[in-house]
Amino acid sequence: MVLGVIGADCHAVGNKILERVFSDAGFNVVNLGVMVSQDEYIDAAIETGAEAIIVSSLYGHGEIDCQGFRERCVERGIEDIILYVGGNLVVGKAPHEEIITKFKAMGYDRVFTPDTPLEECVNYLKKDIESHRAENGKNHQY
Amino acid sequence: MKLFQGKIPENEFMQMREDALQTWPTGQDVDLDDAIQYQRGLPDSMNFARKMYEADQAKQVLLQPRAGVALVEEHIQLLKYLEPECDLLPTTIDAYTRLNQYNEAQRGIEKSKAAGQSLLNGFPAVNHGIAECRRVVESLSKPVEIRHGTPDARLLAEISFAAGFTSYEGGGISYNIPYAKKVPLEHSIACWQYIDRLVGYFEEQGVNINREPFGPLSGTLVPPFASHTVALLEGLLALEQGVRSITLGYGQAGNMIQDIAAMMALRELADEYFQQAGYKDYELSTVLHQWMGGFPEDQAKAFSVITWGGTAAALSKATKVIVKTPHEAFGIPTKEANLEGLKCTRQIVNMLADQEVPETKQMLWEVDLIKRETRALMDATITLGNGNIAEGAVRAFQAGVIDIPFAPSLANPGKMMPVRDNHGAIRILDFGKVPIPEDIRKIHRDLIQKRADFERREASFQMVIDDIYSISKGRLVGRPR
Repeated sequence: MVLGVIGADCHAVGNKILERVFSDAGFNVVNLGVMVSQDEYIDAAIETGAEAIIVSSLYGHGEIDCQGFRERCVERGIEDIILYVGGNLVVGKAPHEEIITKFKAMGYDRVFTPDTPLEECVNYLKKDIESHRAENGKNHQY
Repeated sequence: MKLFQGKIPENEFMQMREDALQTWPTGQDVDLDDAIQYQRGLPDSMNFARKMYEADQAKQVLLQPRAGVALVEEHIQLLKYLEPECDLLPTTIDAYTRLNQYNEAQRGIEKSKAAGQSLLNGFPAVNHGIAECRRVVESLSKPVEIRHGTPDARLLAEISFAAGFTSYEGGGISYNIPYAKKVPLEHSIACWQYIDRLVGYFEEQGVNINREPFGPLSGTLVPPFASHTVALLEGLLALEQGVRSITLGYGQAGNMIQDIAAMMALRELADEYFQQAGYKDYELSTVLHQWMGGFPEDQAKAFSVITWGGTAAALSKATKVIVKTPHEAFGIPTKEANLEGLKCTRQIVNMLADQEVPETKQMLWEVDLIKRETRALMDATITLGNGNIAEGAVRAFQAGVIDIPFAPSLANPGKMMPVRDNHGAIRILDFGKVPIPEDIRKIHRDLIQKRADFERREASFQMVIDDIYSISKGRLVGRPR
């Protein structure tokens, strides 16, 4: 999986913790750190054959930065990749359901608000990767 | 940009300004003589440096929020809304401007106009330019500071001072290490030498501009000695370029004794190092930032955290306190939530105005510990620079002498690991290469061991993670679940 904080966002703390938690759960984490562009995630995913891209955004510009990411994945030939996004995704306080609907419409498979326990994200990703592999007829360990 | 040895000569500085002003069209409108005339025309009551000095003399705690939106009219409305409940106003700059991405900021302005709401997380002052920024200043009656997170903030500084803003947050270290990924420290420090020189130029012309190195850094379990070292270095760098009004900052850690001790040590260390370097003509003040880490989502609980920060500021006699809001867990607050944070803080600061905490043995022990730790880092840094503070700072990060927990910059060593002790004070689990003497290391080890014994688990990274989320989950020390 490829991990990073999108756009001009330099919130590093959660990123370092996510790296640790996903690594401890057995994932092979390619952590790009903060301030990652859409193409940098995609480059890393293609280079490493990653099965998922996990996007974080905490500073409020998420709506601008995350637009068009799925379309970019399609253009670059990784249209099936699992795409997650999480954090404080919009400027100001909006109902969680509204945020989730908005980002799912952009093509993100799962959208996490800040109250989500990290174990839950880990379990979702395990499940999603398994079903993804089943669909594609692959069956190897992560 | 290359580091300067000492004060930048005026002719060289004026040449450098030509280049900086060309980085975006609005820079062409900066005229230094006009800027000085404009600043001289502002009333004293709108001067940040004067206000900080008076508050320091009167031992008052001033309140300041954070606030900034994309469009000028909305920004003015926001600040006017907050003005009655605070003493000092901010203009928080958006993240694109902080990275000098003025084209993206322009896109954000256009999209915000179209959306009818701010899609930027701050005010893009460079794009708006001098005339529009002056409109902001002229709509208000209290001093306004530019608050941001910009490694190269030269153009922003030029426009801000020409527009009548009278305080500027940041520094070559504190606005790089927690805010950037790949900017070389040499570059950001040199940029901030330029900014401090610009402030020094205004001071030479009799215009006071306040400078505030950013105290909390990554805002995540930063031990006082680490942030104090950066504050002192940036203070020295500022004074070297002619800054006079200097406000050193500290981010609340959560243990009251440690926080009060840290603020006492900060002031005493600043006078010690500034005077040792030969500076006498400076005005020192302090700022405490209410808890900078994760907040509870529940607003009643968030108010409790805000109150604890107000308490720390009042009892430690900070000159000002930077106020959080009950929306902190969700990101940028509404103006109503912002105002509530101010009211909540005002109530506790007023209630504590006449109270004093006795200097207990434990408190003085903590003050002494922080001073010894900070001196160890400062003295190593000064030695590495052969007396040149800027060079020393760069080498100190390279050598691991200074190490800021959880900072994104590649220039940061990232080896030192903090954790809370059994009373919630921040101690060090792994010192990395930070040159803290062995007797002090033993103090940290013993204090952390007491917590480990109490919790019946080994001190580990899991304990650190528990501490990072503990306040948002309802307590100070991250106890095992």
